Amino acid sequence: MEKSAPFTVLCVDDEVLGLQIRKALLEHAGFAVITALNGQEALALFQSKNHSIQIVLLDYLMPGMNGGEVALKLRALDPEVPILMHTACVDLPDEVRGLVDDVLSKGEGPQALLHRMQQVLEASQLAAKRGK
Amino acid sequence: MKLQEFQRVLRQAFLVPILTLLALAGILLWQIAATQKAQRWLDHSDEISGEIAELESLIIDQETGLRGYELTGDATMLVPFYSAAQPIQGHFAQLRRQIADDPVKLRDLERISTRYETWLSFAQAILSSPANFTNRNLNRHGGELMYAVRDAVRQMARAEDQSRQQWLKHTISQERREIVVLLSGTALVGLMLSFFSLSRLHKVSGAYRQSLFLLEKRGEKLRTILRSIGDAVIVCQADGSIEFMNPVAEDLTGWKEEEAAGRALAEIFRIVNEETNEPAENPVEKVRRLKKVIGLANHTALIARDGVRRIIDDSAAPILSQDGQMTGIVLVFRDVTEKRRAEAALAVSEKLAVAGRLAASIAHEIHNPLDSIGNLHYLLAQEKDAARRDEYLKMAQQELDRTLQISRSLLSLYREPNAPVEVNLGELLSSVLLLLRRRLDHQGTVVTQQNKDNIVIEGFPAELRQVFTNLILNAAEAAGRPGKILIQISRSVGNDSRAPGVTVEIYDSGAGISPQVASKLFQPFFTTKGSQGTGLGLWISLGIVQKHGGSIHIGNSDLPEYTGACVQVYLPARTLATAQSRSTPYVG
Repeated sequence: MEKSAPFTVLCVDDEVLGLQIRKALLEHAGFAVITALNGQEALALFQSKNHSIQIVLLDYLMPGMNGGEVALKLRALDPEVPILMHTACVDLPDEVRGLVDDVLSKGEGPQALLHRMQQVLEASQLAAKRGK
Repeated sequence: MKLQEFQRVLRQAFLVPILTLLALAGILLWQIAATQKAQRWLDHSDEISGEIAELESLIIDQETGLRGYELTGDATMLVPFYSAAQPIQGHFAQLRRQIADDPVKLRDLERISTRYETWLSFAQAILSSPANFTNRNLNRHGGELMYAVRDAVRQMARAEDQSRQQWLKHTISQERREIVVLLSGTALVGLMLSFFSLSRLHKVSGAYRQSLFLLEKRGEKLRTILRSIGDAVIVCQADGSIEFMNPVAEDLTGWKEEEAAGRALAEIFRIVNEETNEPAENPVEKVRRLKKVIGLANHTALIARDGVRRIIDDSAAPILSQDGQMTGIVLVFRDVTEKRRAEAALAVSEKLAVAGRLAASIAHEIHNPLDSIGNLHYLLAQEKDAARRDEYLKMAQQELDRTLQISRSLLSLYREPNAPVEVNLGELLSSVLLLLRRRLDHQGTVVTQQNKDNIVIEGFPAELRQVFTNLILNAAEAAGRPGKILIQISRSVGNDSRAPGVTVEIYDSGAGISPQVASKLFQPFFTTKGSQGTGLGLWISLGIVQKHGGSIHIGNSDLPEYTGACVQVYLPARTLATAQSRSTPYVG
C-alpha cells in the first residue's frame, strides 16, 4: 500500500472487539479506518464524509439494519463506491451478492482480507479511469 | 318369513283341521241319521207284522171258539169269540194308524177288514139260530169265508214281510255305506290334514331355515369383518373367558384362537407397565368395575406367549345387552412399538433440525472470534512493540473465551444428565438467547427478558433449552419484522391441580393465532412455516414439558405492547420424570 495516499475504509460491524481488532489490522496495513457499529451509524458517517471513503467493509448480520439493507442505501448515495461484504453468514441471499463488489467469508484470515480489498479497489479505480 | 305371515300359517294350521274334522263329523252324523231312519222303518215293519200276527191269532181264536160251540153247544166255548171281538177292532184301529201313509197296505187291511166283517156277520147269523150248527153247507161257507180272511191276512203279512226284507236290505247297505264313508272319510281327511300340515310345516321350516341361514350369514359376515380389522380384537364373555380373537390378536399374543378360547383373558393378554414391569390392571376387571369404555393406561406393554414385549395402545368396552346387562367385553389394541420408535426417531430428527436451524447462528458466533484471532495472530507476527503485543494477546484471550463459551453451550444441547438436575431457568433462558442472538438480531427482533423471580427447578437442561429455543424462534417468526418478544419468568403458586413451580410466558408482537390453528399446534407435522418447518417443534416441546410434569398453553396476549400470541409454559419445581422416559431417543 502506498503510505503517502492512504485509502479510507469504512468498517461496519456490531462486534465491538472484532471491529477494534480489524481496525488495528487495517491501520497496520496502511488504511485510514472509520468504524461504525450499525447500519444507521455507517450511513450517517458515509454521508458526512462524502467522497472521502474509498471502500466499505460491511458485515451482514447486524441488529436493526442488516448488511444487505445498508449496501442498498449506500448504493443509493453513491453507486460507484466499492463494497466488500465481509461476513460469517453462510447463507447470504443472492440479491445481496449482486449488490456488492465482492463477498469474503470471515475466518479466511487477514491476508485474504487485505488481498481482496486491494482487488476490489483496483477494479474500481480501473472502472473509474475508463469512465473518465 | 314375516311375523304376520307366520301367524297366518299358524291360524291356518289350527283352523283347517278343525273345519275339516267338523265337516267329517257332519257327514258321519248324516250317515248315522240315515241308518237310524232305516232302523226305525225296520222296527215299524216289525210292529206291523206283530199286529197282523196278533190280529190273525185273535181271529183264529174267534173262529175256534165258534166251531167249538157249534160242535158242543157248550156256550162257554164262545168266550174267546166274544172276548176277542173288542181287541180285534183295537188291532184294526192300531194297524190303520200305523199304515196310514201307505195306501197299498191300507187297501190290504181294508180287504182283511171287509172279509172279516163278512165272516163275522155270517158267524153272528149262525149264532142266532142253533139249527144252523149242523148245516154242513153253512159250515163249509163259514170255512170258506174264514179262509178268505186268513188268506187276506197272510197276503198282508207276506207283503209286510217283503217290505221288511227290503228295509232290512236297505239298512244293511246303509250300515255298509256308513262304514265306507267313515273309513274313506277318515282316511281322506287324515291324508289331507297330513299333506296340509306337511306343507305348512314346510313353509315354516323353509322360512326358519332361511332365517337361520341369514343369521349364520350375518354372523359370518361380522366375524369376517372382525377378522379383517387391522387392529387386534379380542372378545371376552362376561366372566373374562375368551370367546373370539382375530388374526392380528393371534399374532400379537402368540395364541391361536382355538387354543385361547375359553381361557381367562389374563392368561392370554398379559400386560405390564412398560417402565416398571409391574403387572397392569386386567381390563376385564376395570370394565366390570367402571361399566364404560376405557383406554389402557399409558406405557402398557403386552407380553406375548413367546415372551416378546410389545408396546400397545388399547381400549376395552363392555358389550351390553338391551336390558343393560354386561354380556361380554371387547378389547381393541394395536402394536405401537414401531410408532414409538418412529416418534423417538422423529424426536431425534427434530433435535437435529433445531441444531440445523442454529447452525448459521453458531457458524457466525464462532467465525467472528476466529476471524479476530486470525487478525490478531497476523498483527502479533509483525508487531515489535511489547505493550501492543500484550494488548493483542489479551484481546485474543477474550475472543478465545467467547469461542469456548459458545462451544460449551453448544455441547450442553446434546450432553444430557441421566437424572434431573437443578436448572436456573433465568440463566437457561439467557444462554438460549445468547445462541439465538444473531438470528434474532438479523430478524430485527427485540427480546426483553424479565426475571421476576430467581427460580431453580429440577429438570433436564438440554431438553428445556430445546423447548425454549423452539418457542422463542416461533415467537420471533410470529412477531414479524421488526418485532418484539417479552419473556417473563415468574413463580407459580401451587393449587389443587398443579404443584408449585414456575411459569415462563413468551409474548410476541405478531397478529396472534386463530382458534383453528391453536387446536392443531401440538399435532406432529403441523406447521405454519411451509417447507421451512418440520412441524415437530411444538409436538416435541409438549412431550418434553409433559415429561417434566408441566404443561404448555398457547393463547393470545393481553398485554397492550405485545399484540400477538402468549405461550405459557408451566414447569413444576420438582419433576417426577426419569431419564428413561419417552423423549430420550431409543433407536432399536
